[in-house]
Amino acid sequence: MDFSFTEEQDMLRISARDFLAKECPKAKVREMAKDERGYDPQMWHSMAELGWMGLIFPEEYGGMGASFMDLVILMEEMGKNILPGPFFSTIALCALPLLEYGSSEQKTKFLPQIAEGEAIWTFALAESSGRYKASEVKLRAVLKGANYVLQGYKLFVTDAHVADYILVVGRTGEGKRPEDGITLFMVDARGPNVKMEVIPTIGGDRQFKVSFDRVAVPKDNILGKVGNGWDVLDFILQRAAVLKCAEMSGACQAVLDMTSSYARERIQFDRPIGSFQAIQHKLADMLIDVEAVQYLLYQAAWGISVGSPSPWQISAAKAKANEAYQRICIEAIAAHGAIGYTMDHDIGLYYRRVKAAQFVAGDTDLHREVIAIGLGL
Amino acid sequence: MDFRLGKKELALKEEIRKFAEAELPPDLVRNTVIDGEFRDFEFEISMSRKLAQRGWLVMSWPEKYGGCGASLLEQTIYEMEIAYWGIPGAWMGISGIQWVGPCLMMFGTEEQREKYLPLIASGEKDGVWCTGYSEPNAGSDFANIKTRAVRDGDDYIINGQKVWTSAAHRARWCWLATRTNLNAAKKHQGISIFIVDMKSPGVTVNPILNYYGRHHFNEMFFDNVRVPASNLVGEENKGWYYLMQSLAFERRSIAPTTYGSLKWILEELAKYAGQTEYEGQPLSQNPVIRAKLADLAIDLEVLKMFAFQLAWRISQGQIPVYESSRNKIMGDDLMRQGAITGAEILGIYSQVDPDSEWAKLNGAIQGAYLGFPGQAIAAGTAEIEKSIIAQFRLGLPKSY
Repeated sequence: MDFSFTEEQDMLRISARDFLAKECPKAKVREMAKDERGYDPQMWHSMAELGWMGLIFPEEYGGMGASFMDLVILMEEMGKNILPGPFFSTIALCALPLLEYGSSEQKTKFLPQIAEGEAIWTFALAESSGRYKASEVKLRAVLKGANYVLQGYKLFVTDAHVADYILVVGRTGEGKRPEDGITLFMVDARGPNVKMEVIPTIGGDRQFKVSFDRVAVPKDNILGKVGNGWDVLDFILQRAAVLKCAEMSGACQAVLDMTSSYARERIQFDRPIGSFQAIQHKLADMLIDVEAVQYLLYQAAWGISVGSPSPWQISAAKAKANEAYQRICIEAIAAHGAIGYTMDHDIGLYYRRVKAAQFVAGDTDLHREVIAIGLGL
Repeated sequence: MDFRLGKKELALKEEIRKFAEAELPPDLVRNTVIDGEFRDFEFEISMSRKLAQRGWLVMSWPEKYGGCGASLLEQTIYEMEIAYWGIPGAWMGISGIQWVGPCLMMFGTEEQREKYLPLIASGEKDGVWCTGYSEPNAGSDFANIKTRAVRDGDDYIINGQKVWTSAAHRARWCWLATRTNLNAAKKHQGISIFIVDMKSPGVTVNPILNYYGRHHFNEMFFDNVRVPASNLVGEENKGWYYLMQSLAFERRSIAPTTYGSLKWILEELAKYAGQTEYEGQPLSQNPVIRAKLADLAIDLEVLKMFAFQLAWRISQGQIPVYESSRNKIMGDDLMRQGAITGAEILGIYSQVDPDSEWAKLNGAIQGAYLGFPGQAIAAGTAEIEKSIIAQFRLGLPKSY
């Protein structure tokens, strides 16, 4: 067993931390929450130059050939800084499945664009119930000549307005199980008959309803096999769950750090409030939550890194992160008092993003159910 | 990072499984949380001897003291498996194996090591220790101890009272915290540790029954007890430092043992829920029960990672600052969660005496339910542990 990071991993973390501290201060996060695009294209290109987009692509696709664990480290730092924009949707939700399931033509065409920061992607799965269940996939895709024709809509699609491509989960058939007959399409986001409508959210991110009205998609733009899309989805949801956990883990750490320094500095009754046990014990509980998230995250990420992902460990990590991130934010606001409830304070930035994070790649109930099945229930 | 267990560790797990299947009666009552140890002293010591013969009892000690130089990771796995199978006798009253031995290796004289370590390693009655820390006015405020040790020629003379002393009624030796300097600037600067022969004249042990009527801990009186000066551990008045180390060793062992016993409980509860019908379907189909067992499983996974992380840190030669406290809090919280969830699943059967033939799961749930409040106090309350984390990990000011 080894709980340490490699020297290269420590360096990656430090360089990410330095870059984000400079380029993505909280003022930038606030600015981007009001910005129409929701991200800073210049920063996006600097990130690409640092090799972040292609971090875990092989060199032949313009990548750095790093491990999944390296990506986790990078995304923890992003989560700490609340990096706004389409990195998660482009890399975690789209590039990773492209790398795993794409044909060599598809990979040669799409991955270098992503690595260079020239293409933004997003992923469209949820429909009206917003749940990650195969039976909820109703968007129809019907073969007509050389194209599939998509009809239907998707909800809570992040950064769709700036995306070049949308990876759309559609139904091409019915089978014995709802998982049968699902297919993934790579759709030109700027093509005709793709319409977007903002869904205003509390997190300051950009989410959309995306409607597809007789949208023709060439057969070549199917990811994986027709009708077997659920396998790809499983892959996406597992990777995305872990990478979202990484962001949440970084956020949890940031909130804890912010709160313990506040407790050291804030004076009431002529003493720092951190000398009161009511505050100390709250912070100790927060620390235990933070480390619980970290170790479950690293365990799950390590499994993926060495090629033996454990759905059970992944679900344990995401379920824990969902609950812990929320609890830590709530306790942190309480420890801050009224200042924590203001627009000017940074704690609220984290708290407002809890809900979006919890639903990405499965809410707590979904992951508990994976665990329950694993227990033989 | 690498979270794999090696061949050695996997083989050890397998060997312990075989040992448990061969040596344990199938109807063994699993209630050590409430009973503590030594309810059936002869049986437990017979098991201690067998574990000693296997080289497991003090596996991480050097060979010359009766161990086999195993890694702390192996020891952690051993502790998890022992607790999982509920193998009695593995702890010998806990003190000797978990902190007296390791502390003597760090701070004791060679003479002390050669005399006491092989005794502990033997698994015999003469290797059973107890620990005299708490006093009527020194609980969480441990440095407030009043038991006095006064130098008299080649001896020290000890007078005072200890409480909540686990296993004192079975112990051959006591690891005793005393006050040797009344005039030290700070209370914790006048403390020394002694090794006391429990057969010495002037030592009295009275049982204190726990709220379930079980004899686990005791009060002890020391009335002019003479102890040779060679039984002083380390330096005079430096005892506080050794005590903190001993408590870190003690708190470390909570996570692996709690993990092991709850892992067994979780698996058995899952089986029980699958086999028990309620309103026409198995209990395991009830979404509330599924969610609760899933939460327990997730937190157990956290406890496992915490246990391994601490063992790894120590094995790297680092001195853990707060991790033992973190692990103790997590372990105690989980024992409570497991007991309460388990009791909910057993329903009305959760009130059955653990020794009764009516008890489900060999009495493990009732044992845990009755036992967890005590476990959560021993070796430091949650409040003390959280203050340690706040002060030493988060850099907050001292609160007491």
